[in-house]
Amino acid sequence: MNTAVLEVRDLNLSIDSSNGPHQLLDGVSFSINAGETTGLVGESGCGKSMTALAILGVLPATGMTIRSAGIMLNGEDLTALNHAQRRRVLGQDISMVFQQPATALDPVFTLGQQIAATVHRHGISGRKACRQTMLESLELVGFSQPEKIAAAYPHELSGGMRQLSMIAMATVCKPAVLIADEPTTALDVSTQLMILQQLKRLQTEYKTAILLISHDLNIIRQCCHTVLVMYCGRLLESTDPESLFSHPRHPYSAGLLGCIPKLSATRPPPINAIAGQVPALTDLPPGCHFAPRCDRAIAQCRHTAPEPESDNGRTVACFRPMP
Amino acid sequence: MTSQRTHPAHPLLELRNLSISFRDRRQIAVDRVSFSVLKGQTLGLVGASGAGKSSVARAILRLVQADGGEILFKGEDIHRMKSQQLMAARQRIQIVFQEPSRSLSPKRTVAESLLEPLQHFAIGSPTERSRKVKKILLTVGLDHDVLHHYPHQFSTGQKQRIAIARALVTKPDLVIADEAVSSLDVSVQAQILQLIQTLQAEYGIAFLFISHDLAVIRQIADGVAVMYRGQLLEQAPADTFFSQPAHPYSRLLLSLASLDEPSPVLNHQQQLNPDGITNHRPSACVYSAGCAEVMPVCGQSEPARIEIKYKNQNMRGSHCVRCHLYDETNINET
Ligand SMILES: Nc1ncnc2c1ncn2[C@@H]1O[C@H](COP(=O)(O)OP(=O)(O)OP(=O)(O)O)[C@@H](O)[C@H]1O
Ligand code: SF4
Ligand code: SF4
Ligand SMILES: [Mg+2]
Repeated sequence: MNTAVLEVRDLNLSIDSSNGPHQLLDGVSFSINAGETTGLVGESGCGKSMTALAILGVLPATGMTIRSAGIMLNGEDLTALNHAQRRRVLGQDISMVFQQPATALDPVFTLGQQIAATVHRHGISGRKACRQTMLESLELVGFSQPEKIAAAYPHELSGGMRQLSMIAMATVCKPAVLIADEPTTALDVSTQLMILQQLKRLQTEYKTAILLISHDLNIIRQCCHTVLVMYCGRLLESTDPESLFSHPRHPYSAGLLGCIPKLSATRPPPINAIAGQVPALTDLPPGCHFAPRCDRAIAQCRHTAPEPESDNGRTVACFRPMP
Repeated sequence: MTSQRTHPAHPLLELRNLSISFRDRRQIAVDRVSFSVLKGQTLGLVGASGAGKSSVARAILRLVQADGGEILFKGEDIHRMKSQQLMAARQRIQIVFQEPSRSLSPKRTVAESLLEPLQHFAIGSPTERSRKVKKILLTVGLDHDVLHHYPHQFSTGQKQRIAIARALVTKPDLVIADEAVSSLDVSVQAQILQLIQTLQAEYGIAFLFISHDLAVIRQIADGVAVMYRGQLLEQAPADTFFSQPAHPYSRLLLSLASLDEPSPVLNHQQQLNPDGITNHRPSACVYSAGCAEVMPVCGQSEPARIEIKYKNQNMRGSHCVRCHLYDETNINET
């Protein structure tokens, strides 16, 4: 049976400014089952990383407010936890791999020291036991000589190795939910593939529910059970990757897919880019936020926001979805 | 370099056995690399991180010294040019980096950034310069009213457009794009690729397009060259490369990038070995530790660069490969 490990209910995030609050996330709802991966895609600046941070309840700036109808982790509402309880949950039940491993790792400690500290913080005591758990975590992400990696400082490793160590650190407590924010951006294909394969292995091993944030649609297609398409803080379409890729319903999803260069034996026709750019969050167009860039827009789109509608496991928020 | 014109049959840029090393020659970054870029064409240079792609680019701009080999630009060796000649060549070769911030100073307005190369190479009168700047800005899809803005006022995609405008304002013959679209969103990447294709058709500029993304290369390249740990393993016309890749490493790259095939399971240690190049024995194939088709001979002698012959030769440009699976007597039936 499929059980939702993480359930995000009507998540809203706003930030204060001199001309009133701006909505960064607007009614985001989704859930992830044990052992499954949900992908979150969209152009940069559309709110992907903010979603992750809001789920964890860590806000990057002052003046930000989260409202939601609950963020349920195994039935427990994260938003109802006090500070101490939250600290226990973060890193142990739900953890995160960041886009830039360089900024998440401390340059003055070896990787072994940093992973062991995480282990220690979450209840394993004793130097030997900590070290043992730490080495196992490095081995599990594919390092055949974990001692060597444990003794290294972050700058001594390549980008791919740093990212794998981050994954070891994030999974050392066998979390129920792992949020991976662009874990493979800026890495070459073979390193990318290896990291995704290791994530998959850990998932099979621990039944981890993964939220995979990426702007790389090919990666999303290969790794996910469900895909969420986000634009300007709203979810516009959610469905399984095969349906999305073969038959996108939301014009924005279709536009994004059209941007992917195709690998074909004959030279592909010139690429079809979406015109214009993501609007600033401080200056969102009224109605459907995609309307100024959408070639299917009608008058209604410019003043009313379409509500998400579900049909056959697919949710689309659009007045004129693709046939 | 005053009035020398390139013969259409001669490459615009030709590398012959280029070698580059760092740390007193203890680290070989580029190992006898040869390839050529034709006038007005795009050569896609692919390879994993650390393969030496950027080092090749830097040597062409003479930002690093070559240990050996030649870099011929319109038939003249860049590393032997005297300062005046070099200055003229540098005006004809421009670069666009992955990070637009590397080409744009945060303290300069768009107008200042775009005027700078024209002033540096003393091109045109002040009025002509400002006309050129306005024209190129329009070409990359930006309005004149951004001329007095600073880089931080733009999105990454817009900054990359400005960086491209800066590279193009001197009307170069060759633009080196080093992962120029790699950190962009697919949507912005698509816009920049569209832009590069338009500019190329309009101005006939040749591109050395460095990328680790084969699908991007497929979209815009006329030819493909593959690097691995400092060596060039294969060069072929794009249609040949994407339909009949010869080298086992090229085939791996293609299968990794292809969505229709299940991904092969990789050997982690091989792929992650960060300083493999220093361990490489000169008497073996550089790819032998990772190759699925390795044979005894691969550990004993380094494969030479050979050209694959086709029955229907005039259909294609030359197809070169370094691998013991091929020899001079191979004739491809197609
Ligand atoms: N200034 C330097 N000093 C020492 N080693 C260097 C220097 N520059 C480059 N290298 C080394 O030379 C090799 C080739 O590097 P290069 O930057 O050319 O690779 P690349 O193919 O561009 O990789 P990427 O895809 O990561 O940009 C690497 O092993 C790198 O560590
Ligand atoms: S609601 Fe209207 S503007 Fe928005 S995506 Fe649908 S058709 Fe386009
Ligand atoms: S020479 Fe041998 S090891 Fe090298 S790529 Fe060819 S078959 Fe593989
Ligand atoms: Mg590089």
